[in-house]
Amino acid sequence: MVTSATRGAGPFVAPAAILSLLVALVPIAFILYFSTMEGTSVEPFRTILKSSLFHRAMTTTVVVAFWASIISLVLGYIVALHLARQTARRRAALMVLVLLPFWTSILVKSYAFTIILGREGIINSFLSWLTGAQVALPLIFNRFGVMVGMTNYLTPLIVFPVLASLLAIDPALYRAAEVMGAKPIRIFLTITLPLSAPGVLAGVLSVAVMALGFFIVPALLGGRQDLMLANLVDFYTREVLDWNIASAVGVTLFALVGIFAIPATLIRRTKGRIAS
Amino acid sequence: MIRSRNRSVTDRRSFLKVTTGAAAALLAAPNINTSRAASSELVLVTWGGNYRQGIEDGLVKPFTKETGIRVTVLDTPDMAKVKAQITTNNVQWDVFDAPGSMGASGAFHGYWEELPSGLFDDNDLLLPKQKYLVPFYTFAGGIAYDPARYPEGKHPKTFANYFNVGAFPGRRTLRSRAMETLELALLGDGVAPADLYPLDVERAFRVLEKIRPSVAKWVEATPQTVTLLQTGETDFSYTYANRIQASNRDQSTNLGFSFDQTLNGVEYLAVLKNAPNRENALKFLSFAMKPEYQASCMEAKGGAPISRKAYPLLSKDSLKWLPNMESKNNAFINDEWWAGNLEPLERRFKEWLLS
Repeated sequence: MVTSATRGAGPFVAPAAILSLLVALVPIAFILYFSTMEGTSVEPFRTILKSSLFHRAMTTTVVVAFWASIISLVLGYIVALHLARQTARRRAALMVLVLLPFWTSILVKSYAFTIILGREGIINSFLSWLTGAQVALPLIFNRFGVMVGMTNYLTPLIVFPVLASLLAIDPALYRAAEVMGAKPIRIFLTITLPLSAPGVLAGVLSVAVMALGFFIVPALLGGRQDLMLANLVDFYTREVLDWNIASAVGVTLFALVGIFAIPATLIRRTKGRIAS
Repeated sequence: MIRSRNRSVTDRRSFLKVTTGAAAALLAAPNINTSRAASSELVLVTWGGNYRQGIEDGLVKPFTKETGIRVTVLDTPDMAKVKAQITTNNVQWDVFDAPGSMGASGAFHGYWEELPSGLFDDNDLLLPKQKYLVPFYTFAGGIAYDPARYPEGKHPKTFANYFNVGAFPGRRTLRSRAMETLELALLGDGVAPADLYPLDVERAFRVLEKIRPSVAKWVEATPQTVTLLQTGETDFSYTYANRIQASNRDQSTNLGFSFDQTLNGVEYLAVLKNAPNRENALKFLSFAMKPEYQASCMEAKGGAPISRKAYPLLSKDSLKWLPNMESKNNAFINDEWWAGNLEPLERRFKEWLLS
């Protein structure tokens, strides 16, 4: 199945591939070059491995990216399920609603979340009005605020690949299952979930990769401990002007992305082979 | 079949010709640019928003009118871009609007042109011209509050008050960087402004350790020092007089700012090393320090002039937002001290924040 789809694709893929090679690989090569002190030493890597600042930022990055991906998956899957059941016209309209926050600048949204989640923000004022007591839940400048800001951005990226997988499922399968007397939960677990797995995988992969590189959301909505690797790269690039260290952190971040991306690609490939 | 393949080959050839030509043109473009720009142009890098508007109205327009030099104004001074331009020997910026830390770091790394003598009226300047930098204006950091919620007597007015959580309970902000924050901690602990430098770093961190639970947000982006106060997210905020002035004027807020004690930072002008329009850049620096344009520029964007003769030219309303430069309570950030200490202290500060 996979091979027949790939055969003869070369000429069509080539221009895009060459472009990405030029605009992505060349800078990455430079970053590698810088991170090794122009190819002479691994001192920058030794320095960051000894730095507790780096260790903490690394842990935060992995933990935050993991949870942001899981939460976005759950939220995005529910939305995609709902969209899959609509008529084509309604679906198109609802898809615009999904995309609307995606088109808004992340900087603007981060400031807007201060107004919604703040100590005297919409949620806390509503709860205060409801209970008649002063409610000031700490929803912002902590890990929770970071999660809200990130999942708001990432959820649409789950919705679209999952929706594509869901729409590709042959409706006859559902009818057959119903005729055989399967309950909705069983239909979901034995048909919908496994057949939407490629979309889930593609979505989670891209979301996890993006989540690893978040920068402005932790800076604006996070607490003092929510420093991620991208913030650390910025710190070394612009404030300290130590580009060897900045590159070493960047290479590590890139390797981290690889750790997520490579197994997912392998799984997909074996899956494709089984299916064919 | 064969014919079509042939055609595709010639197509590819002509395509290659066109694209290599275009690529060559693109590669050559920066050089064409600089040689043309040498005549009557200037590139100024400054901050965005209202600030940029003030610079354009108060300084750039009169400069172009008098000299005929066309000024391209770009947003956001960024030291990483300065380093990139200078290390790749492809300098495109001329004048750089540098806050103290950037100015000192650029001088430390040798990114600025040396400023010849005779550009400025040295007796008129409140702060002396340095080898690579000329002080452009000063900005006052201090305590802001909402007088509707915290009337007179209920809000901190000095840094000692700000660090006294017992007497003035409430949520506060501090910046997420060592520079300024270490100074504030020492001033808050009772160090006299005259005895501030060299900073007693250990003492500063001990003071910060104590205030930490009351700091709601260690602010990274400067506008947030004001928005957090506007939305009631914090009770008091460490911010800048010109930011509060702009907020009250443009967003019709009614926030207060205490001038009882301020920590003043210096903003500098610098010329990039090997700037393509060096002569025009020096002309611009000289122009920017003249009393009348110091006044018109600060009137438009806020900030305290360095030119003594500019003060009588300012409106009453602008003077209200300037600190008293002679007051013993007010401290000045020592950028030269920071130049050698910035990196290790910023790193230590970030580590401390995470712990």
